[in-house]
Amino acid sequence: MNLSMAVTYDLVRDVSRELYARALMKIPQDTHRALAEAERRETDDKSRRVLRFLQASARKSEAEGRHACSDAGFPTFFVKIGTRLTLDLDLRRAFVDGFAAMVETIDPPILKFITNPLTQERSYAGKDMPNLTFDVLDGADYLEITCSPKALGSGRWAALEVFSYPTLEQIEAYVIDCVMRAGSQHCPPVIIGVGIGGSFDNAAKIAKRATLREIGTAHPEPMVAEMEARLLEAVNATGFGPMGQGGDTTALAVHVDYSAGHGFVPVAVCFNCWINRRTTARIHNDGTVIHVE
Amino acid sequence: MSNDDEPVRLTLPLSPQTARSLKVGQQVLLDGEVTVTVGFPTHKRMLAALQAGENLPIDLRGGSFFHMGTCCYEKDGRHYPHYVNPTTSTRFDALMPGIVRSLGLTAIGGKGGVGEAVVEALRETGGVYLAMPGGASPLLSAGVVERLETAWDDLIEQFRLSRFVLKGFGPLTVGVDAHGNSLYRTLSERAQDRLPAILARLEARRSAAAQEAQGETNEQQRRKP
Repeated sequence: MNLSMAVTYDLVRDVSRELYARALMKIPQDTHRALAEAERRETDDKSRRVLRFLQASARKSEAEGRHACSDAGFPTFFVKIGTRLTLDLDLRRAFVDGFAAMVETIDPPILKFITNPLTQERSYAGKDMPNLTFDVLDGADYLEITCSPKALGSGRWAALEVFSYPTLEQIEAYVIDCVMRAGSQHCPPVIIGVGIGGSFDNAAKIAKRATLREIGTAHPEPMVAEMEARLLEAVNATGFGPMGQGGDTTALAVHVDYSAGHGFVPVAVCFNCWINRRTTARIHNDGTVIHVE
Repeated sequence: MSNDDEPVRLTLPLSPQTARSLKVGQQVLLDGEVTVTVGFPTHKRMLAALQAGENLPIDLRGGSFFHMGTCCYEKDGRHYPHYVNPTTSTRFDALMPGIVRSLGLTAIGGKGGVGEAVVEALRETGGVYLAMPGGASPLLSAGVVERLETAWDDLIEQFRLSRFVLKGFGPLTVGVDAHGNSLYRTLSERAQDRLPAILARLEARRSAAAQEAQGETNEQQRRKP
């Protein structure tokens, strides 16, 4: 095996550190586009003003290297491993150390958010931190890492219910129910991920993955794409609006995905706040790093 | 734009008269002093102290109290903000009515609104809830001048009770006024009222989509040789 062509510990540690730091101080391009579009569509003056404020703050964050939100959340990474890739490292250790290095080096610093759920103790490290999800990319010769920091503001409104042979009507009513419960509180306009089917754990994961899809892209299957379109219309008809102060834009997108399963059908609904923090990079076998977003 | 849309410039702590004059939906820009925390343990400690008849380490009677996280740096013995940002206020709904009543707060603040028990407590004390935008830390932080003091320093930085000086902080929205009106209740009730129509519209679109899909299937079968 030629280890001169392999993804190394140093590379993954440095790239994961950088992806997290950048996710806190930059707003994804699709969010910028979606906010500008929402501002054009809004019929209410006050809502437009809120959207303008959010966009101006986002630009200031990027121009001056400031935290977009004070809540850095906890590190969440989605890692896709190309099957034509050579790995020569302790992969989990590289993410743990990358996060520790980010805490040490980021300026301005981040506060302590990682919470032990049993003791409520807070620190800069914890069990199973960073939160890592691994997947494989058949045939690819790179490692793709997406960082999507998660915090309470939108995180606490996620929900999952297991149905038995539900109709589409039941599934969609459940999504709207979750939206009604969150009301004004999840830093709207949000990105909503809906995961249908598979198993309990799978539904939650595909809901979360759905939030990572670029805003403005539809699901490839027309039946699902149509469901996304009508759910988005329904969510925005609730009128909670930007920052939950009323208006036409409660969600920037509803992204639905599904897995085949059994007659029991878990339906998971999760929310990302308006920033929809997300950065992605690919590390190729020859050590080249490409920042995808 | 009417005058109603121009933010009103106010100084904290709000006088009872000023607090009572504010209306839901109004925009405000703030000067003056506010005490903040995002700590749940802090809220519990505050309420326990107040119920035991003790004074808080920072005198908040008739004052302003925000659900806001802060990160500061020191320069020449003074403390300036790196950044500030609100947290979800409903997290503290169980504790806030007691805190609002015990201290006679004229202004509380945070993001996302407060529950009905807090609205009622504010109505009794003549206080308002001021809503900050979430995730807009760079612009919001520009209105924070300096941290004057912290208390309960055994807690982590954002959990401590911290007193700040504001200058042109905001704009914030009056989410709950001193007369029991709540923007959040209004929006929530309106959404509930709209719910039957929202669900009916979903059903109509589902039927149309199903019919279209059926039409395509029929068309494909018709074209089969």
